[in-house]
Amino acid sequence: MTTATLHLSESARAASASESRFRIDVPIAPARAARVVALDERAASVARRLAERPWAHARFYTGGGVRDGGGLLHELDGAAAPLDEVLTGSDVVVVLATEDGGRAAAAAIGRFCSRHGITTAGVVLGDGFEADDAVAALRPYARVLLLSADESDAFELLTALRV
Amino acid sequence: MLRKELNELLTRTGPGTPMGELFRQYWIPALLAEELPENDCPPVRVKLLSERMVAFRDSEGRYGLIDEFCAHRGASLWFGRNEGSGLRCPYHGWKYDVTGQCVEVPSEADNSSFCENVQLTSYPLVKIGDVLWTYMGDAATRPLLPEFEWVHVPPEQTYTSKRWQQCNWLQAFEGGIDSSHVTFLHSGGLKNDPLFKGAKGNEYNLNDTKPFFEVADSDGGLFVGARRNAEEGKYYWRITPWVMPAFTMVPPRGDHPVHGHFWVPIDDENCWTYSFDYHPVRALTEAERQAMIDGHGVHSKNIPGTYRPVANMDNDYLIDREAQKRGETYSGVAGIAMQDASLQESMGPIVDRSRERLVPADSGIIKARQKLRKAAIALRDEGVTPPGVDPAHHRVRSAAVVLPQAESFLDSCRDAVKVTPGVPQASV
Repeated sequence: MTTATLHLSESARAASASESRFRIDVPIAPARAARVVALDERAASVARRLAERPWAHARFYTGGGVRDGGGLLHELDGAAAPLDEVLTGSDVVVVLATEDGGRAAAAAIGRFCSRHGITTAGVVLGDGFEADDAVAALRPYARVLLLSADESDAFELLTALRV
Repeated sequence: MLRKELNELLTRTGPGTPMGELFRQYWIPALLAEELPENDCPPVRVKLLSERMVAFRDSEGRYGLIDEFCAHRGASLWFGRNEGSGLRCPYHGWKYDVTGQCVEVPSEADNSSFCENVQLTSYPLVKIGDVLWTYMGDAATRPLLPEFEWVHVPPEQTYTSKRWQQCNWLQAFEGGIDSSHVTFLHSGGLKNDPLFKGAKGNEYNLNDTKPFFEVADSDGGLFVGARRNAEEGKYYWRITPWVMPAFTMVPPRGDHPVHGHFWVPIDDENCWTYSFDYHPVRALTEAERQAMIDGHGVHSKNIPGTYRPVANMDNDYLIDREAQKRGETYSGVAGIAMQDASLQESMGPIVDRSRERLVPADSGIIKARQKLRKAAIALRDEGVTPPGVDPAHHRVRSAAVVLPQAESFLDSCRDAVKVTPGVPQASV
């Protein structure tokens, strides 16, 4: 395996560790106006734990009041607001589900986001497939569905998205 | 985005590092069997997980992977004479067997037992398929041998190559579970590459540039499903399995052979990319094998006598801006392998992931990092055996299928993503 090269090409020089020092290093502003919506009780518990972390623009809701065609989302302290009001202006909606109870809400949120160009991600937590219907309801709309037994995946996703 | 300390944790694989210890729980490819083609052939330098070793095949056909340097004065045993069932340092004649045991110190008395106390570090080296595998961990916890299908089908059904990639293993590996780049970077290959073209699935790929993803745990790692629109009421799914720590498969296309990779750290700034093609139920055709040798599909055309690609960073990957303009290649770099490698190497030896802006479509990568981190920490703190060690976890396949929109790929493809001898791959 050769490693030494006397006359580096532009690509070789640019990819070197020493050249990494010259990468522009300015603070990266949080890019996402995120809404996190928990569709059921267990998901709401996860959302409450997530909400305790420091986030830039993420806001957390429960979606029990959402029905076809609209309805209300509730902030974690209980304050209600219409779905369209909450989601308008966001650019990513992360839906949390642990069971099938939130199927109608999942579909309504998915449809709204699809119509308004809002990226939707679903995090479905659980060991089994208790949320099959919620997954099926989200599938047509969610850019990504993360099926996981690990609650911390929701945190990792939000962190990676810089919300 | 990944915090700097987590990036350090995931990218450093030398001895004593959490990720290095994780890799040392697995059998990993050390070199191709073709590199030691006959008994008493020249030894080969091998660097893995930041440890320098030399591999040799002794007079009885036994394989050895031992510390590169003679215990006497530290000379490289790459210069050694492979003779009489051992590797002899040409400097003063000390000789070692495949276990690293010193068996001869010529300067000592004939009946001296001195050499019995001289033992170089050694690791097992086992041929399975076209690959020589090693296990660099504690002998007491050595797992059963790997059972990946690609190294267990008959020789005429499989082909493996390798190439040196000049970047950290993680940024190379992450390309293997990143399905969304295919529609862009490899769009030329879907139309032209002899190992890809002609499949119905390619049309779905090219017609729908915004795939949806589903990411789910598997026993050994993950399944990443990428979904694109197919005919009315149907989706085209491409299912990529990842088996920890570094084995990925590419979903198949038509009746082309199935391909995939094993990404192996050389040190923290270089890795080996092992690339394979196999067909579960038939021999590779002469044309397919020649295409692989010529660097098509996931393989690379290497500089003769080396495993360095002909197109590499020292020649700007032979970038052809006119071919890019004509639409033959998307980036101007020819070949699937080097299209990937050129961009992954351009990130620098170890990319600073604290500056990334990931999107939901990157969830497979996000989840894989999380699994690696958790496994490394669970191993370090509690001695937990990580996923992917059990050979049962190796018996997975990639798949490409068209399903009704309401169906879950996990439910519908349970059999398709399992190895079933004699049954062809699920492919479109």
